[in-house]
Amino acid sequence: MRLDPPIADALDKIALMPNRIGGAPPNVYFVLGRPYEVNAYNLSQGKRLYAWFGCKSCHGDGRGGSGPGFLDGWWSYGPEMVSIFASIRDGRPHGMPAFGDKMTTDQIWQLAGYVQTIGSYEGKTAAPSRNDEKQTRPAENRAPAKLLFDEGPTPVHRDQGPTP
Amino acid sequence: MNRPVAAPDTRDIEIERKRLTDALAETWKTPSGIWGALATVDHKIIGRRYIVTAFVFLGLGGVLAALMRIQLAQPEARLLGPDRYNQIFTMHGANMMFLFAVPVMEAVAVYLVPLMVGTRNIAFPRLNAFSYWIYLAGGTLLWTAFALDMGPDVGWFAYVPLSGPQYGAGKRADIWAQMITFTEISALAVAVELVVTIFKQRTPGMTLDRIPVFVWAMLVTSFLVIMAMPAIVLASTSLILDRLVGTHFFNPAEGGDVLLWQHLFWFFGHPEVYIIFLPAAGMVSTMIEPFARRPAFGYLGLVMALIATGILAFGLWVHHMFVAGLPRLGDSFFTASSMAIAIPAGIQVFCWLATLWDGRLVFKTPLLFIIGFIVTFVIGGLTGVMVASVPFDTQVHDTYFVVAHFHYVLIGGAVFPLLAAIHYWFPKLTGRMLNEALGQWSFWLIFVGFNATFFPMHILGLEGMPRRVYTYQPDLPWHGLNLFISLSAVILIAGFLLFFINAFRSARVGEVARDNPWDAPTLEWATTSPPPSYNFPMIPVVGSLHPLWDDRDSLAVANGLRTDRRELVVTTLAAAEPQAREASPRNSIWPLWAAIATTIMLIWSMFSPWAVVWGSVPVAVALMGWFWPKGTPEDES
Ligand code: HEM
Ligand SMILES: [Cu+2]
Repeated sequence: MRLDPPIADALDKIALMPNRIGGAPPNVYFVLGRPYEVNAYNLSQGKRLYAWFGCKSCHGDGRGGSGPGFLDGWWSYGPEMVSIFASIRDGRPHGMPAFGDKMTTDQIWQLAGYVQTIGSYEGKTAAPSRNDEKQTRPAENRAPAKLLFDEGPTPVHRDQGPTP
Repeated sequence: MNRPVAAPDTRDIEIERKRLTDALAETWKTPSGIWGALATVDHKIIGRRYIVTAFVFLGLGGVLAALMRIQLAQPEARLLGPDRYNQIFTMHGANMMFLFAVPVMEAVAVYLVPLMVGTRNIAFPRLNAFSYWIYLAGGTLLWTAFALDMGPDVGWFAYVPLSGPQYGAGKRADIWAQMITFTEISALAVAVELVVTIFKQRTPGMTLDRIPVFVWAMLVTSFLVIMAMPAIVLASTSLILDRLVGTHFFNPAEGGDVLLWQHLFWFFGHPEVYIIFLPAAGMVSTMIEPFARRPAFGYLGLVMALIATGILAFGLWVHHMFVAGLPRLGDSFFTASSMAIAIPAGIQVFCWLATLWDGRLVFKTPLLFIIGFIVTFVIGGLTGVMVASVPFDTQVHDTYFVVAHFHYVLIGGAVFPLLAAIHYWFPKLTGRMLNEALGQWSFWLIFVGFNATFFPMHILGLEGMPRRVYTYQPDLPWHGLNLFISLSAVILIAGFLLFFINAFRSARVGEVARDNPWDAPTLEWATTSPPPSYNFPMIPVVGSLHPLWDDRDSLAVANGLRTDRRELVVTTLAAAEPQAREASPRNSIWPLWAAIATTIMLIWSMFSPWAVVWGSVPVAVALMGWFWPKGTPEDES
């Protein structure tokens, strides 16, 4: 179902910092209860959009390809929803196209919510799980990036702290 | 401690009537107060609770149905979005099947079977208490999840890959799978109790050919539960494992198989519909006698038809998978077996018709619902034979034709008999009669409303409207019928409301019922309405299938049971000859603790596989408490 046009318009009005990294989602986002982060339906729609819009062709299964990976939890523009939303809607330098005219605002938010879970530092109960494919990486709901910041006895990255 | 009314080892025959009933009442009582209510193992109290809870779920499922019908009344309605609609039709289906239809039939049996076979309590009464608590917990889990916007959204049969890790978002499908686990446990528990009660606790003289048909139906149903449930246990466990620990049972890329799910689910799912229908058929065969004023025609045929249906039920499951691309020969086999099941169903219908034909009919509400049932069920059966044919099914699969078909068999085939049963046994349950005028009104509203709601769905299906769509476009030719259906649903819902109002009112102020208000022939009417905690002061002995008709003036009784401890007669399987006096457990709070521990373990295990390890510790502790000798007279063997 399409969002009510006024709500869709409002959701489009994110406030970005001048460097286009970080910022604040519009108020309505909180009024709706952060639906694109906590609602399982939106996250799973995001997962489908990730496949349907060919994100894989550059970002692979999340490990990256010609585009950066998400799985390692290192975000070039920060892990906030607004940054990811802006990356998808407006594109970024060095090859990330803008999808703003190919998807509705609702879909961009769904996709942003999903992409965030791929590189999430915390497992989310609402996140989708592994694909029905050959297994190449831990599933989204297991917070794959968390592992990389674990400083336990045998850290994956010795030189990196507990957070990005 | 109270002074016991009877000295140790006092037998029922040794004291006079008044002291006998006092002693039995003391031995079998459920103490008043909350603790007594939580600890009781009286099958009548638990059965009543079970029935009331199941009807609450019917009401809740009805609210969801109403929401769907409001949404579909016009094209492009905006009441529900796709996410909410998916949750609602899944909740409606899962709730109606697993929390209403199956449990309510078992609930009625928990209440009635011990009375009908003339014993004092169900076998394994503590397991019975446990079963109710587990059922309640499963229902609460499902509805709490829905309230938190985490309701399952994958349809009541939760096909993979939709319900699998890739597409089944969040914990929603896990909630579905774990709710199934709860209902499996409670259904299996009741099934085992019923089998043992029916095999070993029949009153002396109740040979196999003197068992009321409803009791036969529950016996067959219990075996179906015991044989069908393992398939769904396997399926839902594999699904949870796939989703939680990353196994690949259903992932073809890693050697799993998607169709495996459909096979496992329907190997359970088809018998499931007979688990709902057979008790209903048994109720009809039993209730028809007092309203036709003659024994049911063809007892042997009725019983054999139940057994034949039970066996055939396991050979039909692939008819749900005709469009899954299985080999043609397999499809043909399952077409044939599906059509064959019309034979035992037909035998029963003709036996009921013959009974009515030859009877002197008493047109009270239960008979109206029985006649409504026969009409509706036959229509549902006919569309069943239609969809058993592969070319036809290929056209209407997943359309509203199927929605119409299964509501005809579920509501017409099970809810109508159930409503007849509630009107019929209400006096035994509560000691009061339901209001007859309101009963007849609710029958006509439900009957007319039901047909007006669901018959047009056949046509919608033939016109191509798919099921499980949250809306449709205005240029499709469906909105006229959809509006008509939604308006008719108002009549149907009004009928159900009237029934609920009638039940509420009559339970308080209804006319006080005599012991046998319908002049019925079976044993549950030989005791008071409602029965005392010990069911029968002396165990009745039967010499025929219709003891209260054939031995009108005095029923023979067995004696020799102790009054100072809970004791039952155990009889042989076929001839029902007395074998032993057996102790029956006293009230205990431990089933509740065990149910709470099990609930914690099952819910926790949706989030971490370790729950199965650590969560089993409290379960083990609770079970030890449950079985620890308490030093009661029942412990001596
Ligand atoms: C109160 C009267 C009822 C009404 C108006 C009603 C209406 C509906 C509607 C509109 C649907 C969904 C169709 C769709 O979107 O595909 C549905 C599905 C269903 N109903 Fe009912 N229903 C009623 C009672 C029942 C009862 C008593 C049962 C079972 C004993 C039942 C079992 C089901 C099942 C199993 C489904 C399929 C759910 C699924 O697709 O997963 N319904 N019903
Ligand atoms: Cu079937």
